[in-house]
Amino acid sequence: MSKLSFRARALDAAKPLPIYRSRDLPDLKDCVSINRAVPQMPTGMEKEEELEHHLQRAISAQQVFREKKENMVIPVPEAESNITYYDRLYKGELKVPKQLIHIQPLGLDNEQPDYDMDSEDETLLNRLNRKMEIKPLQFETMVDRLEKASANQLVSLPEAKLLLNEDDYLLKSVYDYWVRKRKNCRGPSLIPQIKQEKRDGSTNNDAYVAFRRRTEKMQTRKNRKNDEASYEKMLKLRREFSRTVTILEMIKRREKSKRELLHLTLEVVEKRYLLGDFTGEVLNEVTVPLAEKPVYTAPVTLTNGNRHKAELKTKMHKTGLMHQVSIKDEFPFDCVRPKKKYSKRDKLYTQRRPGRPPSQYTVNKADIKQYDFHSSGEEDYTPPLSPPSEPDEENDPDGLFAFRRKAGCQYLSVSVCKLAGMDALRHRHSLTALSLPSRLVGLGRRRMGRGGRVILDRASSGLDVVLKQLDPDAFASPVSRTRDINRVSSATAASSFAEILNNIQSLRWHCFRPRPAQHQVNEGSRMGKPSLDGRVTSSLLLNTKNNGSGGLSFTAGADNQQLVGKTSEIFFTSAQCAKCTLTSYGLHSLLQCSSTGTSRPPHSATLSHSGAGISGRVSSSGIGGPLLPTHSSSSLQSLPNHRNHVSAVSPAHHHHSAQPSAPSPSALKLATVATTLDHVPKVTPASTISNLARENHEPERLLNGISETTMAMEVT
Amino acid sequence: MADNVDVVEGCRLPVLRKNQENEDEWPLAEILSVKEIPGRKLYYVHYIDFNKRLDEWVTPDRLDMKKLQFPKKEAKTPTKNGLPGSRPSSPEREVVSAHSTAGYSSQTLTCCNSKLRFNGTARRLMASQPGRKRKANCGGTDEDSQDSSDGIPSAPRMTGSLVSDRSHDDIVTRMKNIDCIELGRHRLKPWYFSPYPQELTTLPVLYLCEFCLKYLKSLKCLQRHLTKCNLRHPPGNEIYRKGTISFFEIDGRKNKTYSQNLCLLAKCFLDHKTLYYDTDPFLFYVMTEYDSKGFHIVGYFSKEKESTEDYNVACILTLPPYQRRGYGKLLIEFSYELSKVEGKTGTPEKPLSDLGLLSYRSYWSQTILEILMDLKPDNGERPQITINEISEITSVKKEDVISTLQYLNLINYYKGQYILTLSEDIVDGHERAMQKRHLRIDPKCLHFTPKDWSKRGKW
Repeated sequence: MSKLSFRARALDAAKPLPIYRSRDLPDLKDCVSINRAVPQMPTGMEKEEELEHHLQRAISAQQVFREKKENMVIPVPEAESNITYYDRLYKGELKVPKQLIHIQPLGLDNEQPDYDMDSEDETLLNRLNRKMEIKPLQFETMVDRLEKASANQLVSLPEAKLLLNEDDYLLKSVYDYWVRKRKNCRGPSLIPQIKQEKRDGSTNNDAYVAFRRRTEKMQTRKNRKNDEASYEKMLKLRREFSRTVTILEMIKRREKSKRELLHLTLEVVEKRYLLGDFTGEVLNEVTVPLAEKPVYTAPVTLTNGNRHKAELKTKMHKTGLMHQVSIKDEFPFDCVRPKKKYSKRDKLYTQRRPGRPPSQYTVNKADIKQYDFHSSGEEDYTPPLSPPSEPDEENDPDGLFAFRRKAGCQYLSVSVCKLAGMDALRHRHSLTALSLPSRLVGLGRRRMGRGGRVILDRASSGLDVVLKQLDPDAFASPVSRTRDINRVSSATAASSFAEILNNIQSLRWHCFRPRPAQHQVNEGSRMGKPSLDGRVTSSLLLNTKNNGSGGLSFTAGADNQQLVGKTSEIFFTSAQCAKCTLTSYGLHSLLQCSSTGTSRPPHSATLSHSGAGISGRVSSSGIGGPLLPTHSSSSLQSLPNHRNHVSAVSPAHHHHSAQPSAPSPSALKLATVATTLDHVPKVTPASTISNLARENHEPERLLNGISETTMAMEVT
Repeated sequence: MADNVDVVEGCRLPVLRKNQENEDEWPLAEILSVKEIPGRKLYYVHYIDFNKRLDEWVTPDRLDMKKLQFPKKEAKTPTKNGLPGSRPSSPEREVVSAHSTAGYSSQTLTCCNSKLRFNGTARRLMASQPGRKRKANCGGTDEDSQDSSDGIPSAPRMTGSLVSDRSHDDIVTRMKNIDCIELGRHRLKPWYFSPYPQELTTLPVLYLCEFCLKYLKSLKCLQRHLTKCNLRHPPGNEIYRKGTISFFEIDGRKNKTYSQNLCLLAKCFLDHKTLYYDTDPFLFYVMTEYDSKGFHIVGYFSKEKESTEDYNVACILTLPPYQRRGYGKLLIEFSYELSKVEGKTGTPEKPLSDLGLLSYRSYWSQTILEILMDLKPDNGERPQITINEISEITSVKKEDVISTLQYLNLINYYKGQYILTLSEDIVDGHERAMQKRHLRIDPKCLHFTPKDWSKRGKW
């Protein structure tokens, strides 16, 4: 007892401890109890567990025997190591490399699908394999994509079509199977995944949620401050990249379809050639049902999938560009083989073909529509050359190409620029004539193609319609060359078609003709045939219409060439049919009716001057696109009506007007057209004002419009 | 038999089980859950004073109904503090919620009750009291609102990967949820709950890819997976190889999928491991054994990239088929070899499990005894050593050195100073043990350069 009366000093870790063997210290037993002075160290176990039966038993066994006793170990649930099929499961052997293994962790996630096929899937696969070939990996990839695209709700079939680039039948079978399987699946996904935390904290106590992000400020050292921000950035980047991937995939899809369509078109042309279907009658018969196909069914991507919303803009841009490219591609096709009169040609100019039956155009148009629709899923949003088919045309007539002021940009005043624009166009391009179907194709630019072929890049301008009326030979002879702008502007006042021709002829245009003219001026073809004359005038009349809107677009400012193109097409469909049956006068009077109905005094006056007056109008808007400002002041209030009408025509109307493509369109149909016109003039002052306000932007738009048709160019 | 009396959750009664000698014994057990499968009822029982890993589903004929004790209503066991709805509703639960209108008084009642029962069965209850108190202190009279309101504060600490407070220990995590795991050649019976996707918990067997540890619901899926998975070793850098034993280092941030899969598997055998947070701040050292098929996982330990508390191991596990063959000690030895390279002392994160404590104690004992026995008399003087020196040589943290010396009963106070005495049986026992210890880490085979994670800006 007395031995314990003193307190042992604390154990000092820095103080040397001599080491004795017990046999060297016979009197050690006396001081054992001192041990108590050394504070007892915790075992580090949970108190309650420390007292567990088997542990205590094992500890005491060790204390007693100083080694493990077989029956004193802590019992654990059994484990077996006798999987007999192991070698069949894990095939192949691995030779141990000499060097230590090093691995790049970033290279690990390869593109293998996470989904693994089960036996149920195998049954389906076997069934499908009777009809087509599908590999397990392909199936897994499909399900994998479907699963990963279905965050909150299942992807729809159209979405699935976009997601999976597969044969329709296969896609449908797999999709249906997947939907069924997904419904029966107890988990949130067919790919079993660890439950994720929810940001609202509702999963804080969910035992099945694991690997939560450490959201609290991780004891921030200075150099970690930006972690959160950069993490967010990386997330964003990732999102954007995946979007890009989607877009690219869709582009790939679209281009594939395009190529397919091109082949098909080519095939059709060849077949027609073999059939001798030069009038297009056979084609027409075959394609009439197609024409009725609704063109404006919204593309699938856009109807669903909020995911794609953000990329819409980009897409529209891209498709717009793509489309232009595709059009351009057709030019060589057009020019290289000029003899193929009835091959499908550039849509803008088809209506100019002499000798083509009126119905021909419509058929082509159907084709075009089809082309537009199929070639690029989203094209309806950017139909630079096709009829406006989107339902919201009224609100946003320019769609993608709507003008937006850019901050920091200076916009020049109207007239100067307009002139410059037209001038520039005229200098960059020359009037171009073809030698074999002897005709003028409007403004164009030559370049050398492969094998010395001459390729013409055409530019569209307000002048086209007029120019192409002209006999190419008219340009062969040099005419007076001093004609200044003012003089041209005076052409507005000119009142006869001949005068306009003169005006144009006397302008100093660069003119390109492939070969010295053989001087096959066929008077009869131009003037002699009364029907031709009628057609010319009627088309001119149509162009009046067209240019009426075009001209308007110059003043109202909301238009560009593209729209002109659109409107011209709209009216061609209706008016072409008129060609045969009605004289220009008749049609004109109809139009006049409509224009009087729309209460536009100044112009209806001009128009009512009969055919000549119309041609005058044509010249003003056709050649004199840039000249319009001279009389815009007078027509400002009235013109927007027309323009608005043009954009207000619903797709249904197009179709209505497109349908009378039958060989003998009746006056009745025309009357409908006229009534449509009649309905138009709902112009609110506000819209007029806004049109006025936008007037200033016209030059750029004009330029843009032109460039659009010549080259793929980013539209600002 | 059991049908005439209703055995509900919380009941206690002796349950038949076979012990290691394959003898029948009837330890007292608590019913944690009851389920009805066609034809019969099954009871999930926890044997009191036995580790949870022995909990199991038993048939009614193994219950000793004669000694059935019904649960005392207010004295809920801690497991019932779990989430509302996390356990199937039972009559008892309804009673509690009826009481909860008078929340405060029912709280006091609970405390009294636990005290009253202290003499009886209630070590577990006592241990659980802090948890209850903390909950009660949150204020508010409605129990349910307390449960939901303390969601955020009760999230486990952000460092380390073990939880010591059991507030999350609800009925869900207290019960094993996976029946069987097939991994390579092995079939493992999990010991504890693991948050594998819930839809997989009903499977009779969960299949794991032996190399990437991906979980699959069927053999067919595993087959398919193996056509796509070309891993034949853990997806990390091999930093040690001697003989067939290799160690791979895996960064929990760079290789999340594997780290998570590894954690899920490990959780099946580690009770206190938490998977609450992501694996970013950890490194995983996977020990493998090579054969012609590849590098097979034997065990692993995880380690915080930066530990504020000198932890050199967070979780450590030898997979059951490899247990009791010296691999655990090898893992521990490796962890200290890493610390030696780092020039630090280290200690495993707490709490230790029973097996963890035994393994570590054994390793520490052998390591320290090895040093002590090797000390030669210096100039005829008795050899001596400081605790700090032992710690520096072994990288074992000072506290662990002391506790081991204590446990081995080596420290004595003799003639005014502390001495270390080596008794015969200690020396003999140590020599016997060292003869059996064939597997050793060879520091020369270790190719490891510690990174300074604090300078990297990221974990």
